[in-house]
Amino acid sequence: MKRVFKFLPFVLVLMFLLAACAVPAPAPAAPAGGEEAAAPAEGAPAEEMPAKVIRIGAAVSDTGKYAREGGDTRHGYLLWLDWVNEEYGGIKVGDERYKVELIMYDDEGDPDTTAKLVEKLITEDKVDFLLGPYSSGLTKSASAIAEKYDMIMVEGNGASESLFERGFKNLFGVLTPAGNYTQSALEAVSKQGAKSVVIAYEDTAFPTSVAEGAQRWAQEYGMEILAVETYPKDVADVSSIMTKFKDLNPDVFVGGGHFNDALLFVRAAKELDFSPKAMIITVGPSNPKFVQEVGADANYIIGPTQWEASMSYEDPYFGTAKDYYDRYLAKWGEPPTYQAAESTATALVLQLAIEQAGSLETAAVREALKNMDITTFYGPIKFDETGKNVGKPMGSIQIQDGEIVVVAPESAAVADLIYPMPPWSER
Amino acid sequence: MDQLLQALVNGLLLGGFYGVMVLGFSVIWGVMGVINLAHGEFVMIGAYFAWVLNRSLGIDPFLSLIVIMPVMFFVGWLLQRVLINRIVERPHLIALLVTFGLSIALANLFKLFFTADPRTVPVSYNGSFELAGLTFPIVKTIVFGLSLVVMLALHIFLQYTRLGKSIRAAAQNKEAARIVGVEVGRVYAITFGICIALTAAAGAMVSTTIPVFPFMGPPFTLKAFTITALGGLGRIPGALLGGIILGVVETLVAIMVPGVGTNLGIATSFVLLVVILIVRPQGLLKGLRPMEVT
Amino acid sequence: MRTRRLETIFSSRNTFIGWIILLILLALYPQVTELSGIRLLQLTQIFIFITLASNWNLIGGMTGYVDFGHAVFFGVGAFVMGILVTQVQNYIVFAPGLSFWQALPIAGLAAMLFALLIGLPTLRLKGPYFSIAMLGTFVAMREIVRVLKDFTGGGRGLDLPPVLNRERDYYFMLVWMGLVLIAIWWIHRSEFGQSLMAIREDEVGAEMRGINTTKHKIIAFMLAAFSTGIIGGFWAFQNTYIDPDVVFIEQRTVEMVMASMLGGLGTVWGPPLGALILYVLQDVVWSRVPEGHLVVLGVLLIIIVLFVPEGILGTFKNPSSTSLGRLLRGYREEQPRPETVATE
Repeated sequence: MKRVFKFLPFVLVLMFLLAACAVPAPAPAAPAGGEEAAAPAEGAPAEEMPAKVIRIGAAVSDTGKYAREGGDTRHGYLLWLDWVNEEYGGIKVGDERYKVELIMYDDEGDPDTTAKLVEKLITEDKVDFLLGPYSSGLTKSASAIAEKYDMIMVEGNGASESLFERGFKNLFGVLTPAGNYTQSALEAVSKQGAKSVVIAYEDTAFPTSVAEGAQRWAQEYGMEILAVETYPKDVADVSSIMTKFKDLNPDVFVGGGHFNDALLFVRAAKELDFSPKAMIITVGPSNPKFVQEVGADANYIIGPTQWEASMSYEDPYFGTAKDYYDRYLAKWGEPPTYQAAESTATALVLQLAIEQAGSLETAAVREALKNMDITTFYGPIKFDETGKNVGKPMGSIQIQDGEIVVVAPESAAVADLIYPMPPWSER
Repeated sequence: MDQLLQALVNGLLLGGFYGVMVLGFSVIWGVMGVINLAHGEFVMIGAYFAWVLNRSLGIDPFLSLIVIMPVMFFVGWLLQRVLINRIVERPHLIALLVTFGLSIALANLFKLFFTADPRTVPVSYNGSFELAGLTFPIVKTIVFGLSLVVMLALHIFLQYTRLGKSIRAAAQNKEAARIVGVEVGRVYAITFGICIALTAAAGAMVSTTIPVFPFMGPPFTLKAFTITALGGLGRIPGALLGGIILGVVETLVAIMVPGVGTNLGIATSFVLLVVILIVRPQGLLKGLRPMEVT
Repeated sequence: MRTRRLETIFSSRNTFIGWIILLILLALYPQVTELSGIRLLQLTQIFIFITLASNWNLIGGMTGYVDFGHAVFFGVGAFVMGILVTQVQNYIVFAPGLSFWQALPIAGLAAMLFALLIGLPTLRLKGPYFSIAMLGTFVAMREIVRVLKDFTGGGRGLDLPPVLNRERDYYFMLVWMGLVLIAIWWIHRSEFGQSLMAIREDEVGAEMRGINTTKHKIIAFMLAAFSTGIIGGFWAFQNTYIDPDVVFIEQRTVEMVMASMLGGLGTVWGPPLGALILYVLQDVVWSRVPEGHLVVLGVLLIIIVLFVPEGILGTFKNPSSTSLGRLLRGYREEQPRPETVATE
């Protein structure tokens, strides 16, 4: 028996060697077009393709902690890729049409892997432009490398303001930054007469930015901030926070960080009979799964959203927001989340900037991005000098009878805000 | 003052759950000398079990314990026969590493099947009632009551049944137990089965109060360790007492400290663990066997 | 017979010379051919991985105190680095933020000091209790760093100046890895190392033979923490930002344990070998089993512990020579497993 054990390591080593040899490329991951979508770009026959190609690279999670949101991001990019190559006929640069080759790798949600893949995209795959990964943290890792190689990176999934406070000249974010997440919702409730706010947030990068913004906006709209509480990631019990808040009897509760917390807050509020006049939860309510998990208790909850299909934006490329919704549904068999929509918009913005610049030169494209002032199906795009999109307001939704409806800002609203929400005891 | 009393209530209810959650960990350690780092993963499995039964068949999570406990007993029994048997009575380190590997594998296996999306097990009666000016969440009160029942049942089982006595005998002196005719291997398998069933039951109960996701386990394992260190190995009253101490300390810190209270409350349990290990390594209460710390 | 020949090849001295040659070759590598950023970065990451595994091996393998929270020193190093570079000027008037080279030794020393503080009480505990205490320390530190917002930026973390220099990183890590490996090789042969291994085999016996076990354990712990802290500080700079969730991650500890176990606990060259194999596995094989690779990792750990507790090098060598496996194997021979008693 012991002899067998002795040989095991040899067998293991042999296995490793075989595994290493069997895989020819030392590539960290297959150039993952994910599903079928990489095919038109890479394997297309030469005669129908123009010789000129723009190579765009992105490291986006397919596995790891951001697997789900990263998947939406990938779908968003791939939808654009299909459209630009098949329908639009390639990016117009001057008089020529360029086909797009999109190289995507899986960053596994790990900063080390992200760094490695972005470095690879730039130095080995020699891409012309970069699109952003999913999450603020990974975008921080990736954008520092892009900056080092003077490479344009347009991103749509890193909302943290600190991304744009590092003096990078090549980073552009199309989404509304985190600090403005609660702006339209707070404006709406203050118009209804809300006077006081309590805030609870998960102590990680993105929720912190959201909460700091919420404090700023609450003051702006003349509301008193009664308490601010933090809690750690993956918290299992928020009843203490809710007990404190209940005693303060505030008009508005602002909270959240992740999907888990949204579930916890609704539960704890009901269990402890904490009934503020409005509950604004930053992540969760705009996701259809939230209603599915929470059921009727989800009603009246307010949440910010980057984009909803019912919004009234449109552009000459993807049509209205609803057209985009239908196109996405037809291709992927599920409705688009706002992560998907902002990813498509990210790629679209890069395309329009290249066309505007009429060249692939970094400096020219950067100028085009800086001067950009357009409206897309996703919303208005206008970058400030740091690269943030200051053109687009954040929407707010409320769950009414199990439906997600846009209630703010007024220009995009399809229903009236219900305020105050009825206390738990009267439902 | 009201807030303080309310915090005590919250802490007490949380502590009751901690007490039943820690039982499996504490008894396995006390009887078999195995420190099960995959403990939290069995809580997670129980919670998912309740979620699946609730989502697909609409079974009430508390009712589903009738199904979950026997099935998980069998799972535990099988696991002991296949894997844990190989690490019983070997150096602690081996058990630590093997159960550590098991915990990583289980959490990620569940992520493969159920994705990382958090789930909830909704119950229609999740409101609250008032008593003496304090708010009692209905579900948490049920969990607390059931925890006491389970603990009492296990206590009676260990103290007064024949099988229970042989489990205690095996814990105190394996060789002597063997001599008087106790089949130690069988006793171990049954013990492990019972403990896994209890742990999964705790998971099923807690699924009604917190979201269920694949990586919810490790904090439970660490808390189980703290509570066991507080209450002694394999002792049921100790587990309850330790659980309540931890629950109350956590909630009190969370209430008293403004702003970052909840963060500190979580850190407290781990700081408490390190402090107990250093100051009073034999545990606060006498257990089935001493902790052999230094 | 074959085993013996392998044993000579892998003898400590020959491997040492081999490693020195390899280090020199690696130092010349970027000079001879133009290396793209990605190659430099990949090699740098391998160096980090190897050095971390070796650090862990010093306390976990050679001394036998399995540290389940070693990544805490990585985190302390990273945050001290971050604070010194970006925050110091807010508290001390006229003090500009320190540069990378000024802050790095301080990051290492801070991790070392932290190891002293935490090691004095915890190293008194028996093996498994030490492991759990360190795990608790690790989780508690993550929360404490979050709470100390004014210094650490809380959950939002700190942004370091985004100046990347792959070649500098490469040479720095190469030199550091070389120093650590030579130090460990030397420790392994020195009286100090022999004492550590005596502690691992039989702590009470070592004490009776006049070895000051506490002092030895603390020194080994502090040395390991120092090196890990340095790497933490380096990593903070390389990644350009830190927050509690990217520096205090369990997986970093898991990888250190895995690499050491795979290569051979308590050997000099085992952990580097294990780290190399793991990195290649991660890069080449696991990205092809995308979702399941942590399942594979967990199962692999169980298999290694149960069937090859000596690791690759430990099994090449005489099983009774160095590794912790001897202890384990001794157990297996002396005591019948309970299941055999039960079934027979």
